[in-house]
Amino acid sequence: MKTDISKMRNIGISAHIDSGKTTLTERILFYCKRIHSIHEVRGKDGVGATMDSMELEKERGITIASAATSVNWKGYDINIIDTPGHVDFTIEVERALRVLDGAVLVLCSVAGVQSQSITVDRQMKRYNVPRIAFINKCDRTGADPLKVKDQLVEKLGHNAVMIQLPIGLEDKHEGIIDLVTMKAVYFRGPDGEDIEITDIPTDLLDEAEGKREEMLDSISMFSDELMEAIMEESVTEDLIHDALRKGTLSQGLTPVCLGSAYKNKGVQALLDATTKYLPNPTEIENIALDLDNDENEIILESVESKPNVALAFKLEDGQYGQLTYIRVYQGSIKKGSELYNTRSRKKFKVGRLIKMHSDHMEDIIEAEHGDIAALFGVECASGDTFVQTGLNYSMTSMFVPAPVISLSIAPKDKKAADNMAKALNRFTKEDPTFRTFVDKESNQTIIQGMGELHLEVYVERMKREYAAEVEIGKPQVAYREAISKMVDFNYTHKKQTGGSGQFGRVAGFLEPLTEGDYEFVSKIKGGSIPTEYIPACNKGFKSSLTKGSLIGFPIVGVKVTINDGQSHAVDSSDMAFQSAAMGAFRDAYARAKPVILEPIMRVSIEGPTEFQGNVFGSINQRRGIIISSADEGTFSSVDAEVPLSEMFGFSTTLRSLTQGKAEFSMEFLKYGKVPKGISDELITEYEEKRRKESGK
Amino acid sequence: MVRAELNKRGPLRVFEKSINGGLGKGHIGVLASKKGVGKTACLVHIATDKLFRGRHVIHVSFSQKVDHIISWYEDIFKEIAKKRDLEDAIDIHDEIIKNRVIMNFNSQGTTIDQVLVSLRAMMTEGNFPADSVIFDGYKLSEASPDDMNKLKTLASDADIELWFSVSLNGENPTFNEKGIPTVLEDRVKDLDVLITLKFEGDYVHFQVIKDHENMELKDMSLKLDPKTMLIARE
Repeated sequence: MKTDISKMRNIGISAHIDSGKTTLTERILFYCKRIHSIHEVRGKDGVGATMDSMELEKERGITIASAATSVNWKGYDINIIDTPGHVDFTIEVERALRVLDGAVLVLCSVAGVQSQSITVDRQMKRYNVPRIAFINKCDRTGADPLKVKDQLVEKLGHNAVMIQLPIGLEDKHEGIIDLVTMKAVYFRGPDGEDIEITDIPTDLLDEAEGKREEMLDSISMFSDELMEAIMEESVTEDLIHDALRKGTLSQGLTPVCLGSAYKNKGVQALLDATTKYLPNPTEIENIALDLDNDENEIILESVESKPNVALAFKLEDGQYGQLTYIRVYQGSIKKGSELYNTRSRKKFKVGRLIKMHSDHMEDIIEAEHGDIAALFGVECASGDTFVQTGLNYSMTSMFVPAPVISLSIAPKDKKAADNMAKALNRFTKEDPTFRTFVDKESNQTIIQGMGELHLEVYVERMKREYAAEVEIGKPQVAYREAISKMVDFNYTHKKQTGGSGQFGRVAGFLEPLTEGDYEFVSKIKGGSIPTEYIPACNKGFKSSLTKGSLIGFPIVGVKVTINDGQSHAVDSSDMAFQSAAMGAFRDAYARAKPVILEPIMRVSIEGPTEFQGNVFGSINQRRGIIISSADEGTFSSVDAEVPLSEMFGFSTTLRSLTQGKAEFSMEFLKYGKVPKGISDELITEYEEKRRKESGK
Repeated sequence: MVRAELNKRGPLRVFEKSINGGLGKGHIGVLASKKGVGKTACLVHIATDKLFRGRHVIHVSFSQKVDHIISWYEDIFKEIAKKRDLEDAIDIHDEIIKNRVIMNFNSQGTTIDQVLVSLRAMMTEGNFPADSVIFDGYKLSEASPDDMNKLKTLASDADIELWFSVSLNGENPTFNEKGIPTVLEDRVKDLDVLITLKFEGDYVHFQVIKDHENMELKDMSLKLDPKTMLIARE
């Protein structure tokens, strides 16, 4: 059966962590007749809400990964992407936003616009996602949806318009007034599934009429017909819906719905608004890059006759193998057809094609343009583009931030080692911000990610999903050593007691090099060191750089010049000159005032201006230098240079300093000198470690 | 040339000498000229000179992008280092930028209260021991007497000097008989130092209008080098 694409919606539900997003999703699924009982996020029955498919999420009560679920509401096919609401997982949010056509911004009627709402909203703006708002938890003490609507205007800059009013708040919250139809809507029955529409209670009529005026005023600018109708007093529901839809699609307007998902109030009306005001896939412009043509932008057309273009936006490891969630942008992907992965340049056959309802799945034979579906057993990474053979498009690359923290992990036993490898392989495919490599220096497996919590979650997932118990090291910083002074050297390596001897003398100087890690210059004249031994000298110096004598980290920025030496007709050899060079370096390095260098990060912090002082203070405490601050009214940002070693635990500190309302990013800037006090500490630590090791 | 020598004998010593040894902590100074004459360059040079002498400077700007101001500092530093053939320029650069913070306010209608809250936060919570604050682009001529008092309080409470640039509108801004720009006539009593910049012939010249208690017109024998945008001797 072909679906009518104008009745298709791809929506995300995005919000701050405790605004009740998961509960709302659960209710949506329920009302769409796909699930038969309602569970709470922290349910007493231990079943848990359906969208949180991962055990870990159930335990923490937060939603980490985004799963796509398809539902049907009054003839509309709605694909819901459940997006995470935690700062450390913004890549998940961003990736979900990439494939959405519209979103519901869930806000708590008590807490109002919170940090994550600000962050998520900014991300949505970046991806031009039209939004409607749902003010949830109207049954809570202190509920004030009109205040929250004002915050939408003030804090997020939305042209927010109430299209509903509450009937009663807090424990008296009974239903809503629909300002379009001017009717009262009650949600009766044990699960609120019986909708009763009545006249507006007389005590609320005046307020409702006032708010309707306000609504008409705001939306009339999006529709000339409505404007005329208002003047002629012949406003119809269709005209209002039309104006609301136009305003929402242009992102010039945010219709505001309200209710309480927990108390089963207002969810069906929100679904109606979703189908009425959010766009269908043909109303959104999607762009691909033509890899055969200098990555020229191509506007995709959401029609079946065009060649297939789809984006793999999410990978999940299910019990039947790898599940790849795709969004089809153009054409129609059929079971058994052939697709081409433009990144890996490999063709593959579409095997099982399914639609997901959280943990349950439904086999389908075709995924049409605009739709979201999942493929089974396709070897790929998230972010890959699948096209019909003959095309070579890539969907615009998703913004992937660089990892900022690393941690060593070691499996506890042989079995864990195998499982760990499997898990790491999977995670790196699922999440482009998670990386792993084996450190050559320590031979340890290092994982890198976006924050401590980010890595913690993966370590826990390894344990739970892959039975890989690992021990984790301390978050590590990659130090370097360098010299700060020019010194001469003149070193003789001599071993001439019995048997074949060794002899070599090298002389010259070491000096700091500002550009590059190492340079070797030979100014030997008159053959004081025979030409054939010069490479051996170079090798000797170079090998000395791998481990500095201060704290055992690599030495960088050294220029070695040799200008004199001596050889022995019989006892000189490559080996002898290499040893001489190493000896010369060891001796000279100690005198060249070696220093420890540490990675300095460029840190950007953004958050409400009210916390600026706390942010300044936290940078100052972390040996940071504030480069600049930019004040944009209620929101401000700070750019600073802070040593990486001081940044561990910063996300937690920042969260507590700013009530979670600030976010930060950082990237490597340069290596800088470690101050004396800290340098001494590091050296003492290293010496103790060596003493212990040699004592063993 | 080494840093100490540069600090001892630069055109900025001439600048300070002609305003009775410098603006001084707790005081407010103004550089006024029409647009595009080089006020920002002068302020950045004044700030850079302070940084060279180990002082801490906050540069407050409005509407411009932060990157733009940082490049002003980089350019002025490079020109000074080149002109004076400065030794260890890279190390000195890295050392002195630690003592400089740029605070940008780019929302319309930023009030002086908001600026002061942020400045105080930088000095207290941020533990930044500012000696001078440069205000580039703040409309001092439109500030209310109340705002003026708040600025004076900041200067004396925090024991810092404040330098402002004031743009004079139009091609031919008017001045009174004492050389005071008309827009600043009501303000001048609150200022400790007022200097105007004017094109004369090929160069921009500096004139002291008010030097603490002294209201006699004085030429500073300084000009702005049009090539390097540095303050230089005439």
